Amino acid sequence: MDLTYTAEEEQFRQELRTWLAENIPTEWTRPGYWATLSDTESFEKRREWEARKTAAGFSGIQWPVEYGGRGGTPGMKAIYDEETVRAHAPQTVNVLGLTFLAPTIMAIGTEEQKAEIIGPMLRNEVIWCQGFSEPGAGSDLAAVATRGVLDGDEYVVNGQKIWTTNAMHGDKIFTIVRTEAGSEKHKGLSMLLIDMNQPGVEARPLKQMSGASEFGEVFFTDARVKATDCLGEIGQGWRTAMLLLSFERGASGVGQYTEFRRQYDDIVAQAKRFGRADDPVARQELARCLVELECLRYHAMHILTQVEQGKDLGSESSMTKLQWSEAFQDLWEAFEHVLGPEATLAAPRPDVDLSPFHAQDHWSRSVTIWGGSSQVQRNIVAERVLGLPR
Amino acid sequence: MFFALTDEQQAFASTVTEFLADRFDLEAVRGVVEDPDGDGHPLTLWKGLADQGALAVLVPEEHDGLGLGLVDAQVVARALGAGVAPGPWLATVLAAEALRIAGSAEQQSRWLPALAAGETVGTVALRGEGGAWDGSGITVDVNDGRLNGSASPVDYPAVAGLIVVAATDASGTPGLYLVEAGASGLTVRDQHTYDGTARVGALEFADTPAEPLASGDTVAVQALLARGAVLNAADLVGVAREALTRTVAYDRDRNQFGVPVGSFQALKHALADLHVAVTMAEHAVLFAAHALDTDDPGTAIAVAVAGSKASDAAWNATGAMIQFFGGIGFTWEHEAHFFYKRARRRAPLFGSSAEHREALAALTF
Ligand SMILES: Cc1cc2nc3c(=O)[nH]c(=O)nc-3n(C[C@H](O)[C@H](O)[C@H](O)COP(=O)(O)OP(=O)(O)OC[C@H]3O[C@@H](n4cnc5c(N)ncnc54)[C@H](O)[C@@H]3O)c2cc1C
Repeated sequence: MDLTYTAEEEQFRQELRTWLAENIPTEWTRPGYWATLSDTESFEKRREWEARKTAAGFSGIQWPVEYGGRGGTPGMKAIYDEETVRAHAPQTVNVLGLTFLAPTIMAIGTEEQKAEIIGPMLRNEVIWCQGFSEPGAGSDLAAVATRGVLDGDEYVVNGQKIWTTNAMHGDKIFTIVRTEAGSEKHKGLSMLLIDMNQPGVEARPLKQMSGASEFGEVFFTDARVKATDCLGEIGQGWRTAMLLLSFERGASGVGQYTEFRRQYDDIVAQAKRFGRADDPVARQELARCLVELECLRYHAMHILTQVEQGKDLGSESSMTKLQWSEAFQDLWEAFEHVLGPEATLAAPRPDVDLSPFHAQDHWSRSVTIWGGSSQVQRNIVAERVLGLPR
Repeated sequence: MFFALTDEQQAFASTVTEFLADRFDLEAVRGVVEDPDGDGHPLTLWKGLADQGALAVLVPEEHDGLGLGLVDAQVVARALGAGVAPGPWLATVLAAEALRIAGSAEQQSRWLPALAAGETVGTVALRGEGGAWDGSGITVDVNDGRLNGSASPVDYPAVAGLIVVAATDASGTPGLYLVEAGASGLTVRDQHTYDGTARVGALEFADTPAEPLASGDTVAVQALLARGAVLNAADLVGVAREALTRTVAYDRDRNQFGVPVGSFQALKHALADLHVAVTMAEHAVLFAAHALDTDDPGTAIAVAVAGSKASDAAWNATGAMIQFFGGIGFTWEHEAHFFYKRARRRAPLFGSSAEHREALAALTF
């Protein structure tokens, strides 16, 4: 066991910390600050800030230098995730592009795609959406019905995507489309990179249970895309999609732990304020959450070790997803249980604002659905890790 | 970052696991379970463990030990838990830890080599009936080098040559004392635990002569309890993993309704959740052992997390084992009850899951 980072990695931490201290306005560290802004204001502020961060060399930490990345180590990425949370840095606006699309392009994209897509994405000049889910294709992704028909050197696309994060801000969308008429399931699909700024593409916001509208619907009506704007080969969309989704495995438990642990401390502080901190049942429930959060932290160190040793995480990532998403959701259930009626009030006292808590509380219901629901993850663990029959 | 066992540590684990598979398999365990009046301390097993250095692991090299840390010791504890192996391994290792932590040079050279070689069996008595595992539950008093009171439950007192007893002095301060087998006024009563893989007794002290450990103060008592909690958690994690592995293997093959029962999603999801829980408990034990080895500032939290998570994981995995084997899992002839009973006996030792959670609340509120 050696739970330290290298000297070079610690040096990186110092540089990043210094930059963050100088570049995060104090008001951003106020709980609930981002919720005081409209979706668009918040988005544009974050987009601008992130572009500055990129210019300062603090984006694409692990990406090769040739793609504008920093060429850093997995340990640096973990440190980056930890420090940005600690400094209250805002969430990235290009999460789907940066997490999924960019590494897939680096792996199997054409030279043109590499040259044209990655730089603008890193600088947030182009915001990417992920167009996988459809009304009839959620967990069963292979049921997608959006179809593309070849017309000269372009595909003409018709159909609908749903639950598309950043639909209203998106410039482009990586989309699973059925390009082979009459094909079924995993066959005949292609990953098309479609420009959203064209007449054939319409995005409509969807209001979430929290009241926010981070996702929306995307309608394709004779939308056009060049046949060369396909990631991977035409007809090999399923393979491309599986490769793309495998990059979620880098998701950082170190950053998540830092964030959730702060939320735990915030909830404990409210429990004290409302006289609930001496109740043995409340103490038991919150401590149970802490156990799971600490386990997430250890698990993150385990995963980082695997990554540093070049091991393929494979289906183990399903376990990571289950642990973080369920622990996070349980924490917010504990908030409700422990605070009782006060938990439901945005202003239980004139000087207390619980609305940032409600935003997290309600968000926590989504994390066990997106990115593969908990049920789907349990199927994967049971079948691919434990080897139980299908 | 290296959060994993080294090659040597993995090799150590395999050695103990293979030794158990070869020389002390479940049939041998059954022999001990079905002989409740026996001492539960098979010498073949004990000698084998001693030969592998399993008893010497934490003992410093100058006292004929291996001078390794708790990360290494938890490797042994996990293997013993997985094999539901009987015997006073944990008791002896903890007695030696008490000497290592708090004994004088003379006390160490008198006892440590014999404990490391398995020539002397040790045990620890750190708590009395109904008491907590944090030093407040001690029901032995010390006055002028004499002990009075009782301790329970104590592992393997009948075969122990040396007992490390926690006792409180007139000022109410806890400390550690050495009592030898056969000391005057010492009575040992078998308490007949349902866990046939262990032997457990109550100790009574009536003006029993005892030798204080040189620096056996409150800090030493806490340090010993923390080590006990982590190694006990390691045993529980071994139990949990093995119970889960056996259950999965059975449910892959057992057919009902024309298909393997393991293809039913109700079982799959329960087993998947258990796999996650047991894996997290393994991480937690590893981290807590490392925290103690390196005096990490977060050690108290780490120990409580490991204690809590490991007992819950073992409790749940062994309950599930019986359920997902069906009727056969409820029989005496099946091994599920070895795992189930071991998990339930050990879960409350060195602090129950709920006690550890209360400790976490106290540390973070
Ligand atoms: C906040 C948020 C953001 C999202 N962002 C995006 C995005 O940017 N791009 C995108 O493409 N999609 C996005 N999604 C969609 C998300 O991927 C899907 O919601 C998810 O895959 C589940 O699909 P579904 O909603 O159709 O539910 P369904 O698949 O219909 O599931 C309904 C219920 O059935 C369960 N279930 C389904 N299959 C099984 C099974 N085999 N065994 C057991 N239980 C099963 C599910 O767990 C769930 O509880 C987002 C979703 C949310 C909530």
